Amino acid sequence: MHEISLVQGLVQQLKELAAANQATKIISVTMEIGPLCGVVVDSFRFGFDIISSEEELIRGAELKVNIPTVRYTCSACGNVLVTAGERPDSCPSCQEQAIFPEGGDDLILLQVEME
Amino acid sequence: MCDTCGCPSPSDNSHDHDHDHGHTHSHQSGHSHSKTVDVHASLFAANDALAKANREHFNEVGAVALNLISSPGSGKTTLLEQTIDALKGEIKIGVIEGDIETERDALRIRAKGVPVIQLTTGGACHLDAAMTHKGFHRLQKEPGGQDIDLLFIENVGNLVCPSTFDLGEHERVVLVSIPEGPDKPAKYPKAFTSSHTFLVTKTDLLPYFDFPVPEAVGDALHLNPKLRTMCLSSKTGEGMEIWLNYLRELVANKKAGKLK
Repeated sequence: MHEISLVQGLVQQLKELAAANQATKIISVTMEIGPLCGVVVDSFRFGFDIISSEEELIRGAELKVNIPTVRYTCSACGNVLVTAGERPDSCPSCQEQAIFPEGGDDLILLQVEME
Repeated sequence: MCDTCGCPSPSDNSHDHDHDHGHTHSHQSGHSHSKTVDVHASLFAANDALAKANREHFNEVGAVALNLISSPGSGKTTLLEQTIDALKGEIKIGVIEGDIETERDALRIRAKGVPVIQLTTGGACHLDAAMTHKGFHRLQKEPGGQDIDLLFIENVGNLVCPSTFDLGEHERVVLVSIPEGPDKPAKYPKAFTSSHTFLVTKTDLLPYFDFPVPEAVGDALHLNPKLRTMCLSSKTGEGMEIWLNYLRELVANKKAGKLK
């Protein structure tokens, strides 16, 4: 549910970007949504659809979503596993359970196409 | 700089925040008359900048801040009531209560005689750094609010959304009560990976529920091996001393300048 307030922050940023670039219409917005950032992609899209339908500047804009992978490093042997976000139960090479994630925990506005 | 008192927080009224809007770089795209701007800015940056300012503000006044996160009904407010009763003569406590509606929790805490303010989010499912900033200013205007060693921020009852928002706290505490079941760490991992301390509450109900404590604690430690774990009952007082000693240690470390 907090996705809505994050979309509101995004819309504020889009308004500032449009003003700075003398644009009157946002055509597309590209986001990176990390699988560990606590944001549900479908809920973010839902919030974007609702709020963009109420804002002339963004109405009809396409939301493009990139989902990065997450690197898990084993604390014992340093083995690195790259996953779509899910945490490995244990290190496949040494069975250690303490594995630390790196990346995939941010929500980033990458690119905006406007006119 | 905040308009209200000159604390490190950016002003509430203007847009002079100091977070990075990212490097912008534009170029004409294939679309006629359109241009593409590379932004690369985190949507968490605005909240994180305010949270950092809150932390500096808490440090300036010498307060340790704890953010309590859990489902509704896991016993956050009752734990605070018992904690205040136990530590009142020893540590100066202040409380920011977060709820969607009503002043009920603040009334319960005020009855214990410590400064408290209620934040009602009017529907929002979490507190954020801006609400916390305003709340702390209001708290400082309450009787006793100028002199706080230990600040509890009781988040909106929700095990999902609050874990994404840094409020500027020094320690984040996640609570799970016995009736909720032992699968909460596995099902709601971010609340546990982002916390410092995990409290299993309402342990007086263990005879009536199927809650294997080692399973819940094991799952939580699997997600976050640095997590400090405690089990307690606010009702019987079982395990409370370990929690109280943890709070005493935080306050002592703060006073000794070991907690930033």
